Amino acid sequence: MAQRIVKPKTNLGPGFWPITALIVVVSLIMSYFTWNSAWPIGLIPAGDPAPATDFLFKFLGVAAAWIFNIVTIYTIYFGIVFRQPKHAPASTIGVQIHDHPVLEFWWTVIPTIMIIVLGIISVKIWADIQNTQGDVLTVEAIGYQFGFQFRYPKLAQPVSGVMHLPLNTPTTIHVTSRDVIHGFWIPEMRIKADMVPGLVNTLRVTPTVPGTYRIICTEFCGLGHGAMKTTVVVETQQDFSKWFAQQGATTGGGGGGAIPLAAGKADVGKALFGQKCSACHSTGPFDQKIVGPGLGTIFNDPAHPKLVNGADPTPQNVAKIIHDGYSGPIGVMPSAQMNGLTNADIGNLVAYLASLSKK
Amino acid sequence: MSVSIAKQGYQLGHGHDDHDHEQVIYQETRDMRLLGFVLFLCSDVVLFSSFIFAYIYLRTTVAPIWPPMIDGHQLPRLDTAFAAVNSVVLFGSGVTMHYALENWKHGTRAMYNLFMGLTILLGAMFLGGQAYEYAHAQIGGWSGNTFGASFFTLTGMHGFHVFVGVVFLAVLWWQSSRGVYDHERYFGLTAGTLYWHFVDVIWVALFFLFYLW
Amino acid sequence: MATIAPGVKTGPYHAVLDHIHPEPTSFIRKYIFSIDHKVIGIQYMITGGLFFLIAGMLAEVIRYTLLQPQGQMGISAATYNGVYSMHGSAMVWLVIIPLVTGAFGNFVMPLQIGARDVAFPWLNLLAFWMFPVAGVILFSSFLIGAPDAGWTEYPPISVQGPPGTTLWCIAIFLIGVSSTLTGINFIVTIYKMRAPGMTLTRMPLFVWAQFATAGLSFIATTALAAALLALFCERVFNVPFYDPSRGGSPVLWQHMFWFYSHPAVYIMILPAFGIVSEVLPTFSRKPIFGYKMIAFSTVAIALLGFSVWAHHMFTSGMVPWLQLPFMIITMLIAIPTGVKIFSWVATLWGGSIRWTTPMLFATGFLITFTLGGLTGFFLAAVPADYHEHGTYFVVAHFHYVLYGGSVMGLFAGFYYWWPKMTGRMYNEAMGQWHFWITFVAFNCTFMPMHWLGLMGMPRRVPIYDPAAWYVFWNQFASISSFVLAASMLLFAYNFWSSFRSGKIAGPNPWGARTLEWMISSPAPYYNFKKIPAVLATPYDFGNPLPYLGLEAAEGATEATPTHSSHPVPTY
Repeated sequence: MAQRIVKPKTNLGPGFWPITALIVVVSLIMSYFTWNSAWPIGLIPAGDPAPATDFLFKFLGVAAAWIFNIVTIYTIYFGIVFRQPKHAPASTIGVQIHDHPVLEFWWTVIPTIMIIVLGIISVKIWADIQNTQGDVLTVEAIGYQFGFQFRYPKLAQPVSGVMHLPLNTPTTIHVTSRDVIHGFWIPEMRIKADMVPGLVNTLRVTPTVPGTYRIICTEFCGLGHGAMKTTVVVETQQDFSKWFAQQGATTGGGGGGAIPLAAGKADVGKALFGQKCSACHSTGPFDQKIVGPGLGTIFNDPAHPKLVNGADPTPQNVAKIIHDGYSGPIGVMPSAQMNGLTNADIGNLVAYLASLSKK
Repeated sequence: MSVSIAKQGYQLGHGHDDHDHEQVIYQETRDMRLLGFVLFLCSDVVLFSSFIFAYIYLRTTVAPIWPPMIDGHQLPRLDTAFAAVNSVVLFGSGVTMHYALENWKHGTRAMYNLFMGLTILLGAMFLGGQAYEYAHAQIGGWSGNTFGASFFTLTGMHGFHVFVGVVFLAVLWWQSSRGVYDHERYFGLTAGTLYWHFVDVIWVALFFLFYLW
Repeated sequence: MATIAPGVKTGPYHAVLDHIHPEPTSFIRKYIFSIDHKVIGIQYMITGGLFFLIAGMLAEVIRYTLLQPQGQMGISAATYNGVYSMHGSAMVWLVIIPLVTGAFGNFVMPLQIGARDVAFPWLNLLAFWMFPVAGVILFSSFLIGAPDAGWTEYPPISVQGPPGTTLWCIAIFLIGVSSTLTGINFIVTIYKMRAPGMTLTRMPLFVWAQFATAGLSFIATTALAAALLALFCERVFNVPFYDPSRGGSPVLWQHMFWFYSHPAVYIMILPAFGIVSEVLPTFSRKPIFGYKMIAFSTVAIALLGFSVWAHHMFTSGMVPWLQLPFMIITMLIAIPTGVKIFSWVATLWGGSIRWTTPMLFATGFLITFTLGGLTGFFLAAVPADYHEHGTYFVVAHFHYVLYGGSVMGLFAGFYYWWPKMTGRMYNEAMGQWHFWITFVAFNCTFMPMHWLGLMGMPRRVPIYDPAAWYVFWNQFASISSFVLAASMLLFAYNFWSSFRSGKIAGPNPWGARTLEWMISSPAPYYNFKKIPAVLATPYDFGNPLPYLGLEAAEGATEATPTHSSHPVPTY
């Protein structure tokens, strides 16, 4: 190869500083619009973590705009300015420079600082989301193929279809699934959790803007995945109470204190079982499973001398499972609080189960 | 041997006679194969590690108690005493394998044959012990629960490796009797020894995880 | 060891480099079951290209379905699910990974290190033939019900999925074994078989990329094998690993799967980085800017890549505090990646740039990959990910990284090395048209997916919100994707006509300086008549070529092949 070296351009190019100024101006304009847009992702923030998430989006958007402009505009500019002239000899070469330690130092350090700042902001917002108080209202959302069910404390029946949330009430949503993995996403509130069978994930949100918002499944769950969506209605406390009252019989919720096992009445327990338990449990033998095992022989089953948690089948231990809920190899059962059961209810249920086992 | 182009152009700095050159080619080939074989064992370690991770995950984050409850019974623990004896058999085969290779290097053929035979025998005994244990483990079978799933999958994979190892060693033994190796060139035996020690080390982890933990 | 030139000692692994076999004469041994790395590389390229065609058509079926919010007549939800699952699986495992490692790694890497072949040519042959077999198995699952749970196949849905899911397990397992073997082969090749004088810091950057990639493949791929084995056992033998009703955990699969599949992202992108690092200095006529930083950051990305897998699982239900280390390490990967991107931009500065097709693709890569990397930030920040997870935003992100990154890099490499493969030039004007159509159509296809996702469109759906806004952007993306597909015709025609009647290229049409350009095109059977000695890095365009022994070889007699299968017994 011929070694005739055409004198290379050693400067930054004719328009380097104007182009740099252009990058700054364009980035500033983009930053201004990103920062001042009310809804950086185009959706109103309708619940409490949303403004914090939107702040993060704005920060990320501004940082991304700068980096993108720097890379793209310099690339195009260098590409035009340093293109080889049409009839340049084949031996024409560029500036033979290998590196520039100062430049490399700064383009390592500045992104590192940006990442540290971004990390701190993300961790802060993350911690806020984790520490949000939500327990004023606790709702359970259960996914199934292909829909959502919602269980409210003190409500006898689960609510299918539309979810209702009272305005400005810190709410905890426990999400789980009955069959395969689903997703639970309310875009306007920027909250999402996977609904995993056998696992309860927790979301906390405080709805702040009344309205009707989408709930969308975001994990592939089968043939009906595309249609698996519903809505959540955020309404005032009065409207919510009105709606709540229409949802049928309500019961007290699992309070503290001793469980009155001796006072349990089997016939009351039978009615309760029909409302609260029969969705998942049969009154047949253990193997007659619906979601959980059949409970017909729970106190007297030679094939299953222990309860699912390994304890002896005494009324106290059965009551304890109903009260605390259960999570283990055969599935998940919500606690009495979640199921809206009082201690008296538990006593009645245990009495009913005992009567079944005696037959 | 035939001429390679090493003889043309600039000198390679190896000896000039054919034997030296042959020896260099052998060494280079052997070193490359050794590196390749060690990398293969490393990636095999990841296979076992993944299942060990699965076992630890299922045991510590999913199951409320261990061994798990099945149909109202808690599953029994595995028979540690028997497995300990079986482990000694396997570790013993590691020792005999070591001496087999040492004896090969020193050219003591009779001792080599003795130790090689012992290694294969102990390996086969270990497999027999595993079969006995499989027949007597009361943990609900492979597809019954997560304990059985992790135990039978991991030890089954290990057992498969032992089985392959026994066949591998038998082939090596046959090859060495046919004069494939000499006391300077015995990469196959090195690989076999490495593999066998690898199988031993995996068993240390499995023994701890399933019997002692 | 001896000194063969000032500053160059013979490497300890030199004699074996000189060992050569006679060129096979039968068609089958020459083109079908060849052990020549160049033939195997081209075989990978042809097979991968064929699968790219199929997987690309599947992508167009997806986009066709999404032309209307209610889906299309004739494409049921089951068909659609099978189509997008197979599109993803095929693109990842049958197209990009085999092309970046098997095809370009095999063809280019041994030439660049001055070797005559890879370390284990028979293993290479075996690894290649697993690949078409795996492809046939994977696509034949369409006959019995294709897997429908996406390329990630999350249980429990994948455990209950159609029978084809079992075939999917087998096919991906096979391709995993092939990838592991190739990884081992490449590490040994690069570590032991470099030409004398080629120290680690004199290796071309593409070789560095292949080295890091091989490390990732041989470690991570077996983790995938374990996950697949467990899924296979669960499906076929009912062994409970993932079934929550029997004590298993669906999240376990996600851990095992992503422990492979995140490094797999780097397996797919690092070789593309390598290609770009070759193309940019060659056509800028100047050394790559910050050679050591680029090489080092390649390794850093590979190492960090092992400890970020759970950033795919922020909404899956991990222990919450665990999200933080995964988020922070993920963000740290941006530092070495940023160093690379800035170094590439700085390589353009002061150059004498020839705007050929490979250079256009490499620059296009720079822009689209930067955008894909930046959206990666949005996904790494946990609170933002809570919003974006499982939406079209994710689809946009990884298509920017994989199409805008890997595939653009592949196109650059394909145009760049085509003369070396065939000895002929392609049509430059047609190549540049191909670039511009690809670049515009690509951005128009995937850019709208960002805002579709943010506004509430989940991924993997055959039907979507019928509001006019969603319909418009989906149709916009679909029509652009048809143009993108059509641009491939230009690509195919260009290479077809070049293959038949292209201009003869000569050994070094680009004036490049790495070793593969020092020999005739197409490369001769044994690559180098004489193994050259390497005196410096290849990128100093102002200096004489840093190789010794090449000129001497011109007049030297042809290498005499040995006729034994091995020169000495090597057991």
